[in-house]
Amino acid sequence: MRRFESPWMNPKLFCGAGLLLAIVALGIIGRLFWNLDLAYTGAAPLKLPPVGFENLRGQEGAWTYPIGTDGSGRDLLALIVIGAPNSLFVGLLASLIGMSLGIFLGFSAGFIGGRTDDIIRVLSDVMITIPPLLILVVVQSAWGDVSLTMMALLIAGFVWQSPTRLIRAQVLSMKQSGYVQMARLSGASTMHIMFREMLPNLVPYLFGSFIANVTTSIVTAVGLEVLGLGPQRIPTLGRTIYEAINAGALIQNLWWWWGIPTLLLGLMFIGLLLINLGLDEVSNPRLRKLQ
Amino acid sequence: MNVLDVTDLSIDFPTARGVVHALADLSFSVARGRRLGIIGESGSGKTTTALAVMRMLASPGFVSGGSIRLGDQDVLTLPEDRMRRTRLRRVSYIPQGAMNSLNPVMRVEDQLKDAIVAHEGRTERDALRTRLADAFAGVGLPEHAGSLYPHELSGGMKQRVCIALGVILNPDLVIADEPTSALDVVTQRQVMQTLKDVQERIGAALILIGHDMGLMAQTVDELVVLKDGVLVEHGDTRRVIEKPHHPYTRELVASVPLVGGESFLGTSAAAQEITRSRKDLALLEFENVQKDYAGITALHPMSFSLSGDEPRIISIVGQSGSGKSTMGSIMLGFNPPSTGRVLFEGRDIARMSPQQSRVFRKNVQAVFQDPYACFNPFYRVDHALGFPFRRFGYATSDAQVQDRMYEACQAVGLDPDLILRRYPHELSGGQRQRLIVARALMLNPKLLIADEPVSMVDASLRATILKNIYDLKDSHGISIFYITHDLATAYHVSDYVMVLYKGQVVEAGPPKEVIGDPQHPYTQLLIASIPWPDPDREWGGTTTAAEDIAALDAMDHDAPTVFRGDVPGFTLDVGK
Repeated sequence: MRRFESPWMNPKLFCGAGLLLAIVALGIIGRLFWNLDLAYTGAAPLKLPPVGFENLRGQEGAWTYPIGTDGSGRDLLALIVIGAPNSLFVGLLASLIGMSLGIFLGFSAGFIGGRTDDIIRVLSDVMITIPPLLILVVVQSAWGDVSLTMMALLIAGFVWQSPTRLIRAQVLSMKQSGYVQMARLSGASTMHIMFREMLPNLVPYLFGSFIANVTTSIVTAVGLEVLGLGPQRIPTLGRTIYEAINAGALIQNLWWWWGIPTLLLGLMFIGLLLINLGLDEVSNPRLRKLQ
Repeated sequence: MNVLDVTDLSIDFPTARGVVHALADLSFSVARGRRLGIIGESGSGKTTTALAVMRMLASPGFVSGGSIRLGDQDVLTLPEDRMRRTRLRRVSYIPQGAMNSLNPVMRVEDQLKDAIVAHEGRTERDALRTRLADAFAGVGLPEHAGSLYPHELSGGMKQRVCIALGVILNPDLVIADEPTSALDVVTQRQVMQTLKDVQERIGAALILIGHDMGLMAQTVDELVVLKDGVLVEHGDTRRVIEKPHHPYTRELVASVPLVGGESFLGTSAAAQEITRSRKDLALLEFENVQKDYAGITALHPMSFSLSGDEPRIISIVGQSGSGKSTMGSIMLGFNPPSTGRVLFEGRDIARMSPQQSRVFRKNVQAVFQDPYACFNPFYRVDHALGFPFRRFGYATSDAQVQDRMYEACQAVGLDPDLILRRYPHELSGGQRQRLIVARALMLNPKLLIADEPVSMVDASLRATILKNIYDLKDSHGISIFYITHDLATAYHVSDYVMVLYKGQVVEAGPPKEVIGDPQHPYTQLLIASIPWPDPDREWGGTTTAAEDIAALDAMDHDAPTVFRGDVPGFTLDVGK
């Protein structure tokens, strides 16, 4: 009998985490072994195709720029090595801040109740109806250039609502549960009940919500970048796509320029989705398949 | 001609840890007009059998052998669309907790109409209306009940709607799976009478699934006893109850506590005289405590005083909604009274300093109804025992905590090596409830509030757990408030009994008087409604359950409490 078979040994979870780690590894290894100066304008010949392809001018791809270059002479590999971790970073940071806010507000609302609960609930319900992109576009166009961290902070202002609601609901139902009553009988403090009795049982939900938030945050960040907003001086996947579209890469058949960043974003989302599905199976044993 | 023939039925559940044989080689048959009872503990395969007959087994369970014949049809090979038409028309199933299986957003008459239309196609409006009226009248519901939504009906009424739904197409076989498990004794009797009447009227066969030997004795002709998916005994109800062959059946019959008769507690070790409280102060006092919820009085003003001189067990009995659990949570300080004060050793529990509050918590502990919810699924069970022990400052070293946990487990009859270091989901309900008793034992409080401690535990374990609790009084000098709906157990364990009805104490006194010879009509009704595991004994006397309920509603609520005598150390006063 395999008694210690952990539900965390989940193939979907592993594939998803593997994909994301691969993107992080690309950033780290790339920084070590690739010349990042190639990300500056004019560092390379213009519009070179990836190795093994030919562009409209009949130029062949070269190993010095293995996945081609863009319209202003930047090496795409260098752009991706810098840009892919940046996009992931914005997503993770925004989600982390949003989650922390959500945990704090959700616990406050569920535990304190009364007026506090009313305010937090109404606030999160109203915020959930406002499309974040709309506000962010306005804010960022007024702001001009922003840093990655600043963008993450702005996005975080729009991803705390759903964890707040989720945690509030769970806290409300857990507050009535037998083991919380038992803990109160045992003379446990409010802090102990919140963080030692309730929070551990929320972990699978928190993880799930966190990953969903990372996805939302990345989508929002890329959305802004593709519109030409967001950080102006730092290469990101979204900005690369924006420049490709702006320079007419679609008409000139420069598919690698927009295609490779898009492919990378796709992989990132698939990774996040797999992690989310895996976590779902971890927290909900009914979804687990029998061997 | 048999309505149902089950032959060598086996059901397997493949799981990650190997195949579980939920049912092995079960055979029985039911004839028209007969009533068959299937009795067994949780996990014995009774519901699985019913679901297999309906062909509604939940995945991954499957029938691995045998056959089920419904009259001339082979249920297991019937195509799905014909099976669908067979359900309800030929065999109907009233699921466990059926009252929660009604659709909350549909009027109940529409749910019955759906059943008729789905099976018989478009039906004349007038014909439909008369049939619905007949169906409601058949289960003793007023006609206007049909136009109500489920939440507007009481539990007993919802259950009767489910019965009406189950028999509306005059099936050959009705399977009722614990149809009264969530109802109190008075309503239980009414629902069971309804079910029997309807079944006799339409001449169907009835399979009653349950765990209550008394209910079976009063209802069915034939009894099948299941244990771990294996049939251990099958026969005429009278024969099974009076001369059980199998030791397990004997155990089941013996585990039903009776009012009067021999105590199931056995002879206890000589009670030690332990006095742990201060003589001059009452251990717990209610001073004109009243509780209102949104204008409704859940608990009418009452005062009592329990001295700590000698440990006592005070039972609080009543139906659901009588205010007994409210009393329990007020005593624990979880629920402040609307008026009045609760004093613990002379101090108001609502106005305690953190230090005093800790002393109160340390000395007033509880055992709750649901042993499944009482353990945090994240921690090993040790956490539930060790955490309060450390918190209240009893612990001197880890080894000592460990030793005390071992002792406490042994004291409640659990093997500590098999129980400790496990996660709660690995233990059965009975084991968990005993662990909660062990926890109370370790903390050694002066007062224990036991709120329905055995109502969710299998029958054969109830006596053991009650004995564990009883021992707390005898050998550890812990006073206990035993909150229950089960008068028979209250009769045996308690020194003093209070009967609550709609928040008022209607009768109080020593159990031999109050339960043995009730004077108040409500107490009399409660006791008459207990189903006895004795086929010769009439259930409920001469009146029908409906009449009793009508009489109860007409009862004078302001009638004074009937006091039936006192026990030293406990005084009760009902304020007006």
